Amino acid sequence: MVDFAGWEMPIQYSSIISEHKSVRETAGIFDVSHMGQIFVRGPDVVKFLSYITTWNMDRQKDGDCRYCHILNEKGHIIDDTIVYTINPNEYLLVPNASKIIEIRDWLLINSNEFNVTIEDLSDIYFCLALQGPEAPRLLGQHLNTSVNSFQLKKINEVIVSGTGYTGELGCEIIGPLDQIEFHWEALLDMGAIPIGLGARDTLRLEKGYLLSGQDFKGSETTLETNYAWVIDWDHDFIGREALMSQKETKYSKLSGILLEDRGVLRPGCPVFYNNTKVSELTSGSLSPMLRKGIGLSYLDLDVDSKITLEVRGKHLNARVVRTPFL
Amino acid sequence: MSEVPDNLSYTKDHEWMLVDDGGKVRVGITDHAQDALSDVVFVELPEIGTKFSEGDAMAVAESVKAASDIYAPVSGEIVEVNDKLEESPELINESPYEVGWMVVIMPDNKLENTLDSESYRKLID
Repeated sequence: MVDFAGWEMPIQYSSIISEHKSVRETAGIFDVSHMGQIFVRGPDVVKFLSYITTWNMDRQKDGDCRYCHILNEKGHIIDDTIVYTINPNEYLLVPNASKIIEIRDWLLINSNEFNVTIEDLSDIYFCLALQGPEAPRLLGQHLNTSVNSFQLKKINEVIVSGTGYTGELGCEIIGPLDQIEFHWEALLDMGAIPIGLGARDTLRLEKGYLLSGQDFKGSETTLETNYAWVIDWDHDFIGREALMSQKETKYSKLSGILLEDRGVLRPGCPVFYNNTKVSELTSGSLSPMLRKGIGLSYLDLDVDSKITLEVRGKHLNARVVRTPFL
Repeated sequence: MSEVPDNLSYTKDHEWMLVDDGGKVRVGITDHAQDALSDVVFVELPEIGTKFSEGDAMAVAESVKAASDIYAPVSGEIVEVNDKLEESPELINESPYEVGWMVVIMPDNKLENTLDSESYRKLID
């Protein structure tokens, strides 16, 4: 068990590799109740969340879920989140565990001009992620329902959305905490494999998804993380001006790194280009599916550039690749 | 319960040793150690001919989450390494005492300060 933003969470239930493969090949279930649930309601919610995030909520229809970034005036990412359009007056944000208070306060101090209410239910809401090719079948068996990718359904008090952090089919189930056991036990009984934090990290890294506090930690912009697709430029939002001017400059971008020699990559591992240290890995691990070391690093290098990584004093060969790795 | 075969010697760093008729020492990590490491996904072994003093880090076993040094249980020279681990590091998990052995050392001296199976069992209890 490890401490994760104040939550005690298992690194693994059985083993990282077998849990990882379960999600890619059958179905796994994650207890991600540490994630936040902040509800924003009111007549100005669309205007307000469009101003707060990189996405224009005018483009959202009821039931749409959208991944986007919340920036400060400098364009630096405070957190990434999925925004759920429950109805035109009610939205849900799911910030990362370590960012809940910061995001809640950020929403509050920026909401003066808007007719909205902000309710943080993180402490009394659970979130379970059911992920893998078998997940839709299990969801059907469990709740007699189905959800499309990035769409949500509300079933009584519970929100089921076609979202996740693994790149697989599946859903996330969000609801009041007293119902978690019912869902967890039922899905385990149906054959879903419990997945710990270790495989959660390898699964997201194979898909090139960002980890808050690691791939961005306060001074990186959406452009630098190479997530320009989450920006709708045609609307006003906090950080837009900073991004507009950065767009015209040359800057390092978070790049995929594939190790060609054998080995495992770790965050912090030094990256060399032409025998000069140019960066460090923000994320690094071994891809259980590729059986190769993979990582992410802020680099100003073209795809296919040859680099080396220093591991225990030795230089290992690697190259810059496009993400996802898988 | 971890397996601790009676015919082997052990270190407190969770390595096992088997001395052959010629005095060479085969070394691996124990069942308890492989279980604690979980899936071994990469093993870095020394070159044949390298000399180590007792307690030197001579190899590395890595799981997804962590890299662990493997220490030389005795001073001497590496005379054999298990090349199979390069392709199949998981052999350490599957068969820590047989197919998953790591190196063979020609020791400078006789083995000293080792634990027998009884004492090692107590250590990991």
